[in-house]
Amino acid sequence: MDTNTNKEQKAYMNPYLAGFLLGLLLLVTIFISGRGLGASGAIKSLVVAGTQTVTKDAHNISQFFVSDGNPLKSWLLFEVVGVILGAFLSGFLSNRLTWKIDKGPRIKNITRLILALTGGLFFGLGSQFGRGCTSGAALSGMAVFSAGGFLTMMAIFGTGYMIAYFFRKLWI
Amino acid sequence: MGPLLPQNIINGDLNFFFALIIGIGFGFILEQAGFSSSRKLAGVFYGYDFVVLKVFFTAGITAAIGIFFFDYFGWIDMNFVYINPLFLYSAIIGGVIMGIGFILGGFCPGTSIAAAAIGKIDAIVFVLGIFIGVFIFGYFYDVFENIYLAKNMGDLRVHDALGLSQAWFLFALILMALTAFIITQKIENKSNKFKELLNIQKLNVNYSFGFVIILAIITVLLPQQKKTYLHEVSKIEIAEKLNDKSRLVSAQQLAHHIIHDANKLLIIDLRTKQEYDEFHLPTAINIQRNDVILKENKKTLQPEDKMVIFYSNGAQDAELAWFMATRAGLKNLHVLDGGLNKFFDVLFGEIADFETKDIRELSDRRFIAFARKFFQDGEVYQRKHSGGEVSKDSGHTVKAVKGGC
Repeated sequence: MDTNTNKEQKAYMNPYLAGFLLGLLLLVTIFISGRGLGASGAIKSLVVAGTQTVTKDAHNISQFFVSDGNPLKSWLLFEVVGVILGAFLSGFLSNRLTWKIDKGPRIKNITRLILALTGGLFFGLGSQFGRGCTSGAALSGMAVFSAGGFLTMMAIFGTGYMIAYFFRKLWI
Repeated sequence: MGPLLPQNIINGDLNFFFALIIGIGFGFILEQAGFSSSRKLAGVFYGYDFVVLKVFFTAGITAAIGIFFFDYFGWIDMNFVYINPLFLYSAIIGGVIMGIGFILGGFCPGTSIAAAAIGKIDAIVFVLGIFIGVFIFGYFYDVFENIYLAKNMGDLRVHDALGLSQAWFLFALILMALTAFIITQKIENKSNKFKELLNIQKLNVNYSFGFVIILAIITVLLPQQKKTYLHEVSKIEIAEKLNDKSRLVSAQQLAHHIIHDANKLLIIDLRTKQEYDEFHLPTAINIQRNDVILKENKKTLQPEDKMVIFYSNGAQDAELAWFMATRAGLKNLHVLDGGLNKFFDVLFGEIADFETKDIRELSDRRFIAFARKFFQDGEVYQRKHSGGEVSKDSGHTVKAVKGGC
């Protein structure tokens, strides 16, 4: 990966324009595939497939590791491969390809990485309960007026605001 | 018309191609918007950068407005669209856990993947964490299962849950979004932290806001429309057809048709494959109830010169299939009145033997006696229509279908 330190990073896209484009993409996705965007679903199918590869008794651990052969699972995998390609392309065009740790000014790199791992763990666990993450449950749910999607979205952001104060040192 | 893939309107082989293209668009937009930076994302909770709220809410209302109008004009059949089901406790618990994850990790799964793609090390670690979290859920699934499956409220729509019409809900949602945009912009402007993160393309959005308000007003002013999809029959027409009993074919009529003009019949067995394999009426083909509306079956079910008759064990499944298919625009479909159960009761039940001179009654009895012989002895059928499919053992397995409904 190139580090374009000599080139200026381009400005981020206007958030309303980005949101509008994302909304159109979501609409087209629903029109074509009958369901919205997703991310955590792909990781779930990788975890299930991975566990099945490592141990033959995966299905004995729990019902979770019994694959249901749902083709949409591989749909999500392809989508996530696309996300990686698309983000890389965008980063390349805007001179943002670089190895970097983003963190608040008051914490050390190692603290940031441990918390990122913990945060990912929480998100992975929560996305299974929520039957989707911010994209699959909250955003896509909002587009199709799903009560579950709205509820999960409110729970995510509501909790975030409730505990943000106590973790302010991490970010500000 | 839409959605295209679930209705097989476009080739399923293109599935993954679309998934890849959509993913590329998704990743590109996330990165362009700045979702590849955990500091920008976390800003929504600390008031210095509201990019999450702006992008997320704009995308949400854009897609929701789109879905609303697509649905209104019949361009998309929402019956084929996945509506995230609501399991009350699980949805809230999941949201709370994800909220904690958001504050600690600064990402959500989609954004972390986009950020990892441009080399953010914290994002790569976050993705690793997701894998662990998903595995933990799977490992302890048996412990979680009860709560995970509790309070299943199905694919409840949010406006129904709130007792609002969809249009009014959308109207309120749009106003909430615009209000949130204006308020958070003020907060963001006042904050003097991390201005370097706000290196964003300037754009005058006043006109767009005005346009969205007009759209919101239009949604609530739209006349409540009868929901009819492009090729669909209207509710009034359906009601008329429902009252018209000519779709019903009695057991005697069906037997008569099978004996005398089987080549003008298309008999559809709606039962399970197993039941069908065990026994089915002569020449019947097997299509599952819910599959009668599939596009690939449409041609089969609309032959030019044949009478199409649905049957199931009782009458219910066949009537349902008739309704679904008729609603979907298929014509001239018939239903075996009373299903196979009645068919066998009539043909193989007791024939009244009281003395009568009623010519009609007598001819009925004669016909049933004849039909009984015909169905029990498949060879009669074979002699008459050589080449046709015959289920020879029909007479012997009659009991297998009786009683089930």
